[in-house]
Amino acid sequence: MADNIQLQKMRAKVEGFNTLPTLPSTLRQISVMLEKPRLTMDEIARFVSNDPALTTKVLKMVNSAAYGFPGRISSVSHAIMLLGLNVIRGLLLGISVFELMQKNMAGLWEHSLACAVAARYIAQQKKMKEPEEVSICALLHDIGKAIVMLQYPSEYEQSLQEAKNRDICLYKAEKKYLAATHAEVGLWLAQKWQFPTNLVEAIGFHHQPQSANLAPLETAIVHVSDILVRARGVGFAGDSFVPAVQPAAWEMLGLSDEDIKNILIQVEETASMAGEEA
Amino acid sequence: MRRITIDKLEPGMILAKPLMRGTMVILGEGTQLTDAWVSRIEDMEIDHLFIEGSPEQAIPKEEALAQLDARFKHVEDQPHMKFLKKIVREHIEGLYGG
Repeated sequence: MADNIQLQKMRAKVEGFNTLPTLPSTLRQISVMLEKPRLTMDEIARFVSNDPALTTKVLKMVNSAAYGFPGRISSVSHAIMLLGLNVIRGLLLGISVFELMQKNMAGLWEHSLACAVAARYIAQQKKMKEPEEVSICALLHDIGKAIVMLQYPSEYEQSLQEAKNRDICLYKAEKKYLAATHAEVGLWLAQKWQFPTNLVEAIGFHHQPQSANLAPLETAIVHVSDILVRARGVGFAGDSFVPAVQPAAWEMLGLSDEDIKNILIQVEETASMAGEEA
Repeated sequence: MRRITIDKLEPGMILAKPLMRGTMVILGEGTQLTDAWVSRIEDMEIDHLFIEGSPEQAIPKEEALAQLDARFKHVEDQPHMKFLKKIVREHIEGLYGG
């Protein structure tokens, strides 16, 4: 019972993160905008176009290797048409949370970007209809870390220390100091921002893909992408271990040696570019 | 593909991404740089380019492999992890030219 109350308290605090005075204003505005249940393309396009710096970042991202339309998208409305509303919503969050990640955990952005690239590759390989959506889940899978660090800085610092001292992964250490892990926090946030349920699952269950009911494939892709990127040691996500892959998720994707090597090569290229997306 | 700063540019290098000025392509992808091109590029206000070839590695191979062992130390006996480690190891060795 006490646990439940703690959990609800934490959820309420996390969901109210956009009232923090120290929050970058773009992130606050985007977060508030995405809470609207029926957000139209026009509204998003207008919002982005009113901010030249944001426009540049969006266009840079959609034209990068991570989104598969290199050098071809020249306007925000064109980007929304090609990539769809969910992808653009996710990209805006990713771009605006980048700054927080850079400041609070060096290497987390690089890790996230590399996961996005790996996820897109696998989603295409599995002939999914919207590979970019899966890629967005991978980009945002650790967004919970950025927000928890902001609201529970001392608890988070303790979790990081615990992971380091006891030689365990951060996900386990978080359970000792916080009512919920970064994955659960990511799930709450994805719901708050009105993401479709399959994307909510892929973000929220990336450490336990067996819990995904509606989107087992998307979730398995994000889970495996995270592991592949950690296996190569690109970026930093709070600890330096590769977690064990969940066997059913791994088998569901059936990646060949060749696939894994191709993913590692792409991940390598992202790593050399990650610094530029600022 | 690797990213290099202009001061490290040498004739014979091949562009992995086109050299752009605004929306105009100045040199296409796959162009092999000549002496003349290198000096002209040095005069432009560009700070980096993408060229063919594997990126220079920041740490020696032995260290990269030791870090790989450390990352996998808790999970080597778990299903599929040995296989994954083997492939990542081959990939890392490939980055250092086999």
